[in-house]
Amino acid sequence: MYEFQQIAAALYLAAGVGALLGLVLPAPRMLLGARLGLALGALFQAAAFATLHRLDPAPALTDLAQALSVATWLGVLFGLALLVRIRLPGFTPVLGLVAFLGAFGATLSSPGNEAAVGEGSGSIPHAHVLLSSAGLAALGLAGLAGLFFLLEHRSLKRRRKVAHRFPLPSLEGLDRVNRVALALGFALLTFGVATGVLWNEARSGTALSGGLHETWTVAAWMIYLGLFALRFLGRQGARQAAASALAGFAFLVFAVVGIGIVS
Amino acid sequence: MKVVVFGMNHRTAPVEIRERFAVPEVGGVLRKLVDRPEIAEAVLISTCNRVELVVTTANPDAVQHVLLEFFARELAGETLPTRASLREMTYLHHGREAVEHVFRVASAVDSMVVGEPQILGQVKDAYRAAVEAASCGAVLSRLFQRAFATAKRVKNETGIAERPVSVARVAVLLAKQIFETLESKSALLVGAGDMIEAALVALDDHGLGSRRVVNRTPAHAEALARRFGGTAHGLDELDRLLPETDVVLACVGGSGPILTRERVETSLRRRQGRPLFLIDIGVPRNIDPGVHEIDNAYLYDLDDLQEVADSNEEERRREVRRAEQIIVEEREHFEGWLVALQAVPTIRDLTQRAETIRRGEVDRFAGRLALDDPRRELLEQMTRSIVNKLLHAPISRLRDETDREVGLIRLEEARVLFGLDALPAGRDEPPAPIELGEPSASLELGDDDPESVD
Repeated sequence: MYEFQQIAAALYLAAGVGALLGLVLPAPRMLLGARLGLALGALFQAAAFATLHRLDPAPALTDLAQALSVATWLGVLFGLALLVRIRLPGFTPVLGLVAFLGAFGATLSSPGNEAAVGEGSGSIPHAHVLLSSAGLAALGLAGLAGLFFLLEHRSLKRRRKVAHRFPLPSLEGLDRVNRVALALGFALLTFGVATGVLWNEARSGTALSGGLHETWTVAAWMIYLGLFALRFLGRQGARQAAASALAGFAFLVFAVVGIGIVS
Repeated sequence: MKVVVFGMNHRTAPVEIRERFAVPEVGGVLRKLVDRPEIAEAVLISTCNRVELVVTTANPDAVQHVLLEFFARELAGETLPTRASLREMTYLHHGREAVEHVFRVASAVDSMVVGEPQILGQVKDAYRAAVEAASCGAVLSRLFQRAFATAKRVKNETGIAERPVSVARVAVLLAKQIFETLESKSALLVGAGDMIEAALVALDDHGLGSRRVVNRTPAHAEALARRFGGTAHGLDELDRLLPETDVVLACVGGSGPILTRERVETSLRRRQGRPLFLIDIGVPRNIDPGVHEIDNAYLYDLDDLQEVADSNEEERRREVRRAEQIIVEEREHFEGWLVALQAVPTIRDLTQRAETIRRGEVDRFAGRLALDDPRRELLEQMTRSIVNKLLHAPISRLRDETDREVGLIRLEEARVLFGLDALPAGRDEPPAPIELGEPSASLELGDDDPESVD
């Protein structure tokens, strides 16, 4: 499993560096090769997840590094789908390098904390990890689209010359990606939080144990609830939506990963 | 055989002079040119910014006069006052300068608007015309094929052609930065003059959706709307139309702005956050500059567009340095091929010289030794084998030294060392067949097939 994960990490790194070179040189074939590298990396990572249970001791999917690896894998799949749809060469190196960190991080995790899953919880922990990771990946995509939107908006407002080396998609396209990713990501995050509550209940008898992870994740979910309402029920402008998607994702990453590190 | 370029362009001659050299029928001119003993091959590139003859010749020093005369007599038809003035307005490049010049022209590095896309097509047309007129041989075929490959590399590997440099194209590019596609977008044209029409043509090339024309004079609005398949409206309908509009193009006479900040803000509220792109090409300006400060409104006036266009042109010029590196690389490749091609006669002379000596010596000794036929055949085989083995190394060296400087020196040395320029007897004998590998294959126009032009 770790071999597959390492191969995937190496492919992501090669794709990220290749895409960066492809943009700088510029060499369109390298960019194309980088996308292929990302797709291959995603295949190897899928193989890694499929063979996860063969390891002795088997690492838990609930392990943070594994969960981030899942989120990375889903992010790569979303990203590749996005690259097919819109012109976004500058996105490939970012995707490759972030995916490398996610996949490589999983190979450094220590396996064997299966006990943390808890008795009688069945497949809920895995559903929680998969749904939350997918939500994290989709909301990450919304945040990235938001970041690109803000950069493009700034460039247009400052009336600066068009950046051709790292061309960004249109504002309209980025806003659409933001909107779809937010809707999808929020739905997945909601299911992720709900399964997390069920898992907590099965494990400790209470829905919310008051732990840092639970509290901060619920806070992040509530923030996203507000953003979702503003975006789809209110009259939030595209720029404000982009900025809040970026800020929301930063908060979510802190709630899921950062709080564990800080505490 | 040397490549020579002789001609004039936008930098050396004004348009009123260049237009006198416009050639309507290229084929006839090229045939006349290659009929001259000094010229082996010729291609004529004739565009609105340049008239150039690209020729190959064995005598580059003498060819300047020939080409100047040809220019004056055949192209201008004696309409120029003096040869001296023509000499001042023309240039002559030969050797590596000429090769680089052709590559530069094809890659649009030498164009008035650096990176413009039309020139490559014009050079291809010039090459095709030369092929049809049978004035293009192995060297120029190879040269132009390399020129097309160089242009492709320059386009793909540098940003020379990426940035638009006309105001209209800049406006289109900005619109594409805002909207995914223009096809579903609605344009509002405020005014119905020539400027609006020119800008509309540029936007229309990219499949603009619906268009509505508002103007003080409804008749003018109707005329423009009819031409471009839109609807005409009066200025009083502006507030009603604005919320349904994605691109506003304004150029109408008047003293103050027609589209005020308040007006645009009101309409944007009804657009539910969808962006609005406004292009103000009116002087004085028709749209309040404060509109640009509104969140989803992007306003560019004529100066802004021109500034972007100028900065793009500057960027293109910066890319020229990278293009020049590619041109030098490609020129070196071409020169390598040319040197290898020039090695062909030397190798032929060398083998011929050796064969003449061998045959003479075999005849002499066969007579003295009174050899019968089988023994003579044995002697023939032995001497042929010695000659082949002796010549193998120098011939391989001559064939492989494709670097221009070294290759030409080697060829010269070989001719002197083996006395090839003073071949006494046997020069007229049919040369023995020799294998020349890659370069000679190009003589057959293998991959230089004129039909294979892009």
